[in-house]
Amino acid sequence: MAQTQLAILLTSVALVVIGLYAAIFVDNIIKKIIGISFIEEGANLFIVAIGYKAGGVVPILMPGMDTSWFASNAAYPLPFGLVLTSIVIGASTLAVMLALVMVLYRRYGTLSTKVMLADTSKQEEYNE
Amino acid sequence: MKLYDQIFDVVKQFKKLFSPGPVTNADVSGSITAEIFLIVSLVLSAILLRHVNVLLAGLVTFILAIVLISNIPLIPKFKIEQEDSLEKMIFYAVVTLSIIVVFMYWGGNLV
Amino acid sequence: MNELIPLMVIVPLIAALLISAFSKFNKVTKIFAFVVAICLPLIPLLSNYGLHYFGGYEPILDNVTSFVYHPAITYSFTFLQQIFIAMIGLLTFLVIFVYLTKYKEVSGPYLFLLFLGTAAVTAMLLTDDIFHMFVFFEILALAQVGIVAASSIDYSYEMALKYMILGSIGSPIMLLGIGFLLALTGSVNVTDIATAVHNGLVDATSPVFLTSLGLIFFGWLYASGLPPFHTIKSGIYSKAEPHGAALLQSFTVISMISIVLIMHRIYSTLPIFEVLIVFFSILAMILGVSMALTQTDFRRMIGFLAVGELGFIGLGIGLGTNYAITAGLFQALNEIIITALLFIGFGAIVNATNEVDTRKLGGLLAYHPKVSLMLLIAGLAMAGVPPLSGFQSKLMLVQASLNCGFPEISILAIMVSIATFVVFVKTFYVMFLRPKPKELEVEGKEVPRAMIFAMGILLILVIGLGLFPDVVVNGISSFVGGIL
Repeated sequence: MAQTQLAILLTSVALVVIGLYAAIFVDNIIKKIIGISFIEEGANLFIVAIGYKAGGVVPILMPGMDTSWFASNAAYPLPFGLVLTSIVIGASTLAVMLALVMVLYRRYGTLSTKVMLADTSKQEEYNE
Repeated sequence: MKLYDQIFDVVKQFKKLFSPGPVTNADVSGSITAEIFLIVSLVLSAILLRHVNVLLAGLVTFILAIVLISNIPLIPKFKIEQEDSLEKMIFYAVVTLSIIVVFMYWGGNLV
Repeated sequence: MNELIPLMVIVPLIAALLISAFSKFNKVTKIFAFVVAICLPLIPLLSNYGLHYFGGYEPILDNVTSFVYHPAITYSFTFLQQIFIAMIGLLTFLVIFVYLTKYKEVSGPYLFLLFLGTAAVTAMLLTDDIFHMFVFFEILALAQVGIVAASSIDYSYEMALKYMILGSIGSPIMLLGIGFLLALTGSVNVTDIATAVHNGLVDATSPVFLTSLGLIFFGWLYASGLPPFHTIKSGIYSKAEPHGAALLQSFTVISMISIVLIMHRIYSTLPIFEVLIVFFSILAMILGVSMALTQTDFRRMIGFLAVGELGFIGLGIGLGTNYAITAGLFQALNEIIITALLFIGFGAIVNATNEVDTRKLGGLLAYHPKVSLMLLIAGLAMAGVPPLSGFQSKLMLVQASLNCGFPEISILAIMVSIATFVVFVKTFYVMFLRPKPKELEVEGKEVPRAMIFAMGILLILVIGLGLFPDVVVNGISSFVGGIL
C-alpha cells in the first residue's frame, strides 16, 4: 500500500473517531452537528481512498491510448462517482438539521443540547 | 420477610414513575407485569447460552436471577435509561457501535 | 412488460416533484394526488416478474473466471417485491385518502414527503445494488424527518432533530461498511459481491470482512429501530400525525427487511451473522414490550409495541432456515397491516377527544363502537389470537424455532405475545370499558368516514390473511428457496 493511501485511511479513521467523540461529549448543538458531519466526511474520504492508485492516471480513455496500459494504470472510477452522490445527500441532511436547529433556537433561546433536546415525555404527558 | 417488604415497596416506587399525575390501578398492574416479564424473559434468554457451554449457562442464569430479583423494582431504572433525552440515546448508540466493531474485528470468528 | 418495473419508483417520485411544484392549485393537486395514489398499488400487480437493467447494460460474462458481472444498477422484481410494493402502495393510497378528506387546503410539501418516502422504500426493495439502496435509505430518512416535523403535535421538532442526529451517526457508519465491501470486492452489486464471497475470492474470515458486517449491521439497527434505537423510533411514531405514523412504521418494516435480505445474501456463510440478528431481536422484543406496558401515552405505547414486533421479524430471519425466513417475512407483511390499522384507529380517538393520556380517557365504547371493535380485533391480531393473521405468522415462528432446536426462543416468543395481549387488554379496558371520567369532554364529532373506510380495508386484509395464509406464504417460501 502506498504511503499516501495509508495516510488518507488514517485521516478518515481519525475523522470518524473525532466525530463520535463530539457526538457524545460536546454540548453545543452546532458544534455537535459539525462533529457529526465529520463522521460523514470520514466515510467519504475512505471511499475516495479506495479508488486511489499510486502513479495512476485519470480514468478517462483518451484517443490514442493503449487500452491494456490504460486498464492497468487508471484509477478506479466507481468510488469517485459514489462519493459525489454521498456528498450531495450529506449536504441536504446537514441543511435540514440546521433548519431544525434554527426553529428550536428561536423557541428555547439557547444552543445547549441538554436544554433543547432533553427528555420531553414527562412534561407533555400530564399538562392540564 | 425482607423480600416481601421489598415487593410491597415496589408498588410505592411506581408512584414516582407516573408523576406528575395520578397512578391508576391499571398502570400499576401493567408495571408489575412488566417487572415480572422483564425478569423472566432475561433469565430465559440467558439459558440460550447453553449452546455455548452448559456450565456457563447455568452459572449466568443463576447469577442473573439473583441480581435481578434482589434489585426490584427494575422498571423505574430501565425507564430512566430509555428516556427521550438525546444524550442517553447517543451514548447507547455509540457504546453499541463500539462493542459491535470491537467484537467483530477480534472475535468475529469465535462463534 | 418489464418497463413497469422502474415506473414503480418513477411514478411516486415524479408525482412528489409535480405536487410540490404546483401545490398552489389546490383542487388539481388533490385530484392528481388521488389518481397517482390509486395507481401505486396497481402498477406492481400488473407488472410481470423480471429484471431491469438501467441504461440497458446487460450482464457481462467474464470468460476467464466464468463469473457474470453486472455493470448496471439492477432492479429485480419477484413475488416478494410484488406483494410488499402492492401493500405499501395500498397503504399510501389509504393514508393519502385519509389526509385529503381531512383537510380542505392540502399541503403540497406534506404530500411530497409521503410520495417521496413511498418511492424510497420501493427502490430499496427492488434494488440489487447496495449503494443505490444506501442512497434511497438516506432519502427515506429525510422524508421520515419531514413527516414528523410537519405534524402539529408538541415537541415534534425536537424528536425530528434527535432522529436526524442519530441518523447522521447511523448512515455514515453503514456507508463505511459499504466502502469496506467495495474495497474487498471492487463492486457494489449485491449479486457480484455474493458471488465473490461464496466462491472464495474474498476471505470470509478476514477481520475487514467481519468489520464490514458490523458496520452495515449498525446501520441496519438504525434503519429498523432495534435497540439501542428503539426509543427514538417509538418517539417519532408518537410525534407524527396518526396517518403519517401508519406510513412511517411501514417504511421502517420495509427498510428493515430489504437491508436484512441483502445482508443475508452476502453474509449468510458467517455463523456470527445469525447470532447478532437473534441477539438484537430478542433484546427488541423484551425492551419494546416491557416499555409498552408502562406507557400512559397510547401513541407511544403502540410505538413501543411496533418495535417489539420487529423483533419477531428479525428472529425469523436470524434463525436462517427456509421455514423461519418465510415466517419472518410473513410476519413483516402482517405487521405492516396491523400496526397501520392500530395507528389509524387510535388516531380516530385522538381526533374525537383531543386526548392521548390513557389516565384521562374512558367509556369511549358508547361513543365510538365501530372504531373500538376494529381496534379490538387489530389488537388481538397483533397479540396472535386465532384466526387472525398475526396468529398464523407467530405460530410459524414458534414452530420454526422449535425445529431449529431453540425451545427457549419459542417460549420467549409466546411470552412476548402474552405480554402484548396484556397491553391491549389493559388499554382497551382503560380507554373503552371503564366509566368515563367527569373531566373528559367527548366532543360530538363523528369519526371521519375515510378513516373508517381505511380501517375496514385493512381489517379485511387481517382476517383474510388469517384465514388463507397460503396465498402469500407459498409465494414467499419459493422466493426464500431462491435466495438460500
